[in-house]
Amino acid sequence: MAIFILKRVGLALVTLWILSVIVFFLGQILPGDPARAILGPLAAPNAVHALDQQLGTNRPVLTQYWSWISHFVHGDLGTSYTYDSAVGPLVWKALGHSLELAIVAFVVVVPLGILGGVWAALAAGKRRDRVISILGLSTTVLPELVTGIVLIVVFGIALNVLPFSATWPPGASLPTQLYHLILPAAVLVLILFGYIEQMARAGTIEALNSDYARTAILKGLPRRTVIRRHILRNSLLPTITVIATQVGYLIGGLVVVETLFHYQGIGSLIVNAATAKDFPMLEGGVLVIGIVYMVATLVADIVYTLLNPRIRFQAAE
Amino acid sequence: MASNSIKLDEIRESRSELENHHIDELVAGRISRRDFVRKGAVIGMSSSLLAAVLSACGSANNSSTASSTTAATGTPKQGGTLRLAQQAPTAAINPLTISDAGGLNMLAQTGDFLILDNNQLLTLQPMLATSWTPSNSGSVWTFKLRPNVKFHNGQPFTAKDVVYTFKQLADPKNASNALSTFTSVLTPDGVVMVDPMTVAFHLEAPNGNFPYLVSSDNYNAIIVPDGTDFSKWQSTFIGTGPFTLKSYTQNVGASFVANPNYWAGKPYLDSTSFTFYSSQPPQILALQGGQVDGIVQFTAQGAQSLLNNASSYNLIKLKSANHRELSMRNDQAPFTDARVRQAVALTLNRPEMISALLLGYGQLGNDSPFGPRFPSSDLSIPQRAQDIAKAKSLLAAAGHSGGISAHLTTEQYQEIPALAQVIKADAAKAGINISLTVESQTAYYGKATYGNSDWLDAQMSLVDYGDRGVPNVFLEAPLTSNGSWNAARFKNPTYDSLVKQYVASIDLSTQRQIAGKITNLLLQETPIVIPYFIDGLTATKTNVHGVNPTSISAIYLNKAYVS
Amino acid sequence: MSVDAVSVESRAAIRSGRQQDRNELLRELLHSKTFLIGAGILLFWIVAAALGPTLVPQSPYAQNLNAINRAPSGAHWFGTDQLGRDMFARVIVGARDVLIVAPLATLVGTVIGTGLGLTMGYFGGFTDTFISRFVEAFLALPVVIIAILGSVALGPGNGTVIAVIGVIFAPLIARTVRSAVLLERQLDYVAAARLRGEGPLYIMFVEILPNVLPPIVVEFTVRLGYAVFTIVTLTFLGFGIQPPSANWGLDISTNFGVVPAGYWWEVFFDALAIATLVVGVNMVANAVEQAFEP
Repeated sequence: MAIFILKRVGLALVTLWILSVIVFFLGQILPGDPARAILGPLAAPNAVHALDQQLGTNRPVLTQYWSWISHFVHGDLGTSYTYDSAVGPLVWKALGHSLELAIVAFVVVVPLGILGGVWAALAAGKRRDRVISILGLSTTVLPELVTGIVLIVVFGIALNVLPFSATWPPGASLPTQLYHLILPAAVLVLILFGYIEQMARAGTIEALNSDYARTAILKGLPRRTVIRRHILRNSLLPTITVIATQVGYLIGGLVVVETLFHYQGIGSLIVNAATAKDFPMLEGGVLVIGIVYMVATLVADIVYTLLNPRIRFQAAE
Repeated sequence: MASNSIKLDEIRESRSELENHHIDELVAGRISRRDFVRKGAVIGMSSSLLAAVLSACGSANNSSTASSTTAATGTPKQGGTLRLAQQAPTAAINPLTISDAGGLNMLAQTGDFLILDNNQLLTLQPMLATSWTPSNSGSVWTFKLRPNVKFHNGQPFTAKDVVYTFKQLADPKNASNALSTFTSVLTPDGVVMVDPMTVAFHLEAPNGNFPYLVSSDNYNAIIVPDGTDFSKWQSTFIGTGPFTLKSYTQNVGASFVANPNYWAGKPYLDSTSFTFYSSQPPQILALQGGQVDGIVQFTAQGAQSLLNNASSYNLIKLKSANHRELSMRNDQAPFTDARVRQAVALTLNRPEMISALLLGYGQLGNDSPFGPRFPSSDLSIPQRAQDIAKAKSLLAAAGHSGGISAHLTTEQYQEIPALAQVIKADAAKAGINISLTVESQTAYYGKATYGNSDWLDAQMSLVDYGDRGVPNVFLEAPLTSNGSWNAARFKNPTYDSLVKQYVASIDLSTQRQIAGKITNLLLQETPIVIPYFIDGLTATKTNVHGVNPTSISAIYLNKAYVS
Repeated sequence: MSVDAVSVESRAAIRSGRQQDRNELLRELLHSKTFLIGAGILLFWIVAAALGPTLVPQSPYAQNLNAINRAPSGAHWFGTDQLGRDMFARVIVGARDVLIVAPLATLVGTVIGTGLGLTMGYFGGFTDTFISRFVEAFLALPVVIIAILGSVALGPGNGTVIAVIGVIFAPLIARTVRSAVLLERQLDYVAAARLRGEGPLYIMFVEILPNVLPPIVVEFTVRLGYAVFTIVTLTFLGFGIQPPSANWGLDISTNFGVVPAGYWWEVFFDALAIATLVVGVNMVANAVEQAFEP
């Protein structure tokens, strides 16, 4: 088991390193110039040149990469060119916002999806099942742009019951923050519901048809107990897989949602850094997302292994 | 006009030749009382002097000598906090390098300038300088400084601080944003301390509008203590201003507390706080929802929910020189012929543009930088209007009766993409077929040098120019033969010499005469088109009084209070 | 019998078998409700894009600065936008860009992905592992971020969108193709071809490729929906086509700022149009997937 974990961690690290190289060199081909982004388009060229010297953006690419990566492994994410302050706190703050939104969305969509999937599975083939599945799948394919706009127009403008800007007043209490997050979280819930519901449904159907479940029911155990004890655990397995694959998206891929609802998450941070050619910020943000994604995948793998008796026994042999 | 000549002569005796010349203009009726005050302030005449001259010249009510800000209704109430929303600063708060709207307002909270350009009254007012006089040629300006002023740390303010500040701002090695103002005007060696309370600026060439260049218009020019490390200024915000820093958090906000020892008197407010937003809609929502008491500056587009409810708010509208400039490559066909360029200008329906794109909050532009904000503008020159028939006949005369095609490149910024589309639609009415490219600002500006910038190289280019107190930079950089922003590649020796004359001239009526000549020349040649000037808009709740916003998006709160 | 004769005969048998399969496929599709509805929606938008400008009562480009931001009414069914242009016309005509770019982009991605997948699957070993590592690193990033980085690097415009989407889809499609190739590799006809002395390129593209076409076709239709999604997103964020083109994503991004003022019609109908197109494409993809399932 331990070897399994170590191997996966090792692979993850290699992938992360490749990612850092890709991002760094991708940053090189971005148009624009850090000093000019800071000083504005009308600044004199010699002023821009002087600032570039100060920032060290004229050094050879490999030197810049080496300097950055050696700091990074010590936990120093460097100094943002634009803000002239540490990248770390800025990235953590944005990450915090993204996490808050992701957690709110998860807390709603996971139980909803599992319940929906189990419920649909119990009525497999009947109308209830079909309606839930179609509903879930159609909202999954809609771009966040579309869902977001419809929600904003309906709930924010027409009915005027929910705030359509997720920028809450500074120092707001948690309930206020949650209130502002309702609409953006709703967009995410609509997108993820279908995936989770389908997975839970499939897992439930398979479990229902398994020998264990059939025997238990024949023995006289009430269906509800069978479901609770055995089936739920099985439907959790694929759900965990789905959650893990969505983590990367939920943390860094929400640029559109962040734009629609004016939310300062890590997706927007990265886009702004890319436009301003702020390398330290760009790489810091991207690598942090990469790390979060890898950790989530790793954790999901481990939990999956622990929960799935088949793999566990195999590893023990 | 009736004049109390004895009183007037008394006053004149002690005044300089320049000031007397200015008084002559007033007496002869060549300038209005209002312009007399404005221009008088520029050349350093104090408000009491101006009032004395005016009363000696016959009474008339004028509120422009008041040195206070907007007329306050009722007595100011002490205490309280004012919460404002503003654009988030996009870079570190370093007085030398700041170039964005959000950042410059931060400087204005705790820092003072030598002179305040009061955008509501359109006049210069003393701040850390109490008076200023030019030499007769206009190439040396001497500033007398305000005594008994202290920095927030208790250190006394003296000429050494002024000299240090301006030497740093004008030094090419420092990459300061102020270099765009000072290049070819002032070098570090030209800043000289005459005595602990007097500073002299020795300019590279005579400049009649120099006081504007060291005023709040030059938003980097707050005075800091001698020897300050600008890159660390953000941690202290040290200055002589009405408020001191309480806290500043990147991308979140800043808060300030009143400076009880402020030289103009303790502010009415106890404290102020600014919340940073990355876009406009949340600011409007915050004001509507009551989370803030005002918005420092906003654009009309998108603010309909505020503007349609204007009676529920204090809406402050400022004439500004903020404009959009459409340039045509004068050195490339078909724009080598001035008739073709005039034709383009004649297709535009400017009033419609102002009402649709600016929701009415703008002033007509007459294809020259001399907009209504500048006292030296000659506004008697007939305003160019849409004339499709004339445009077509000009094109035919130039040999293009079948119409022409051209390509317009511009930036994704505020209403500019919409303006480009309106220009395209208007021009099509005369057979001018324009295709559009809208780029991100970074891509559009490129390296901002000729050959490396779509802005400067495009056949037709539409760019934004922010507000300034004097038109000098608009006259020079985009239009003179050696200008560094000359996207139109306009090279006209008559124009160049007229601009030189304008810059050097010191009295208002000469400036205006030359301005008239320049405007007519530009109308004739039409290297560029300026369809409108955009008003600066600030909004507060109705219980907020005494705020003094500028059209450069700074706001002065030392006389503000909440009732 | 010589080896050549065997292969010719077997190839003929396979081909006629495939012909039968294809007919069955079509029949199955035409009986599927999902396919019919989805294809119907697609057809509607294709007609709208092709004939739209001639069919709509008003021009999508005609500005009327005296009638800006008007709510839906008899004169303008979907209202007018900030320059007084008719929103109904703009929504109908707005399909054009997406309908041209999406298939192109998906095609680019499919072609590259197929090439990659064939290579990885056929050669296996170190090539496979090496490319796989890269692909995995690439996919650790959210798709939107990759798209944006690419777009910022290449500048806005349709070409960029096609290139970016092509590059993002390639690894995803490669994975599917790779699995299919791994299966095919074991089969007799591949060994036979090798014995004949055919080079790897010939084997990959002439022998194996036709047999892995079904999963590729399925991937194409599935990815098409995702392409529409991504194109609209990129255009909204400012990386796609430029004004004054009538384009759903662009209109939403231009008019989004005035929605708080109450001018909801300037984005709402564009959003609905996008929704119908995406759902339609996905329905078609679903039906195709089911039809190809053994």
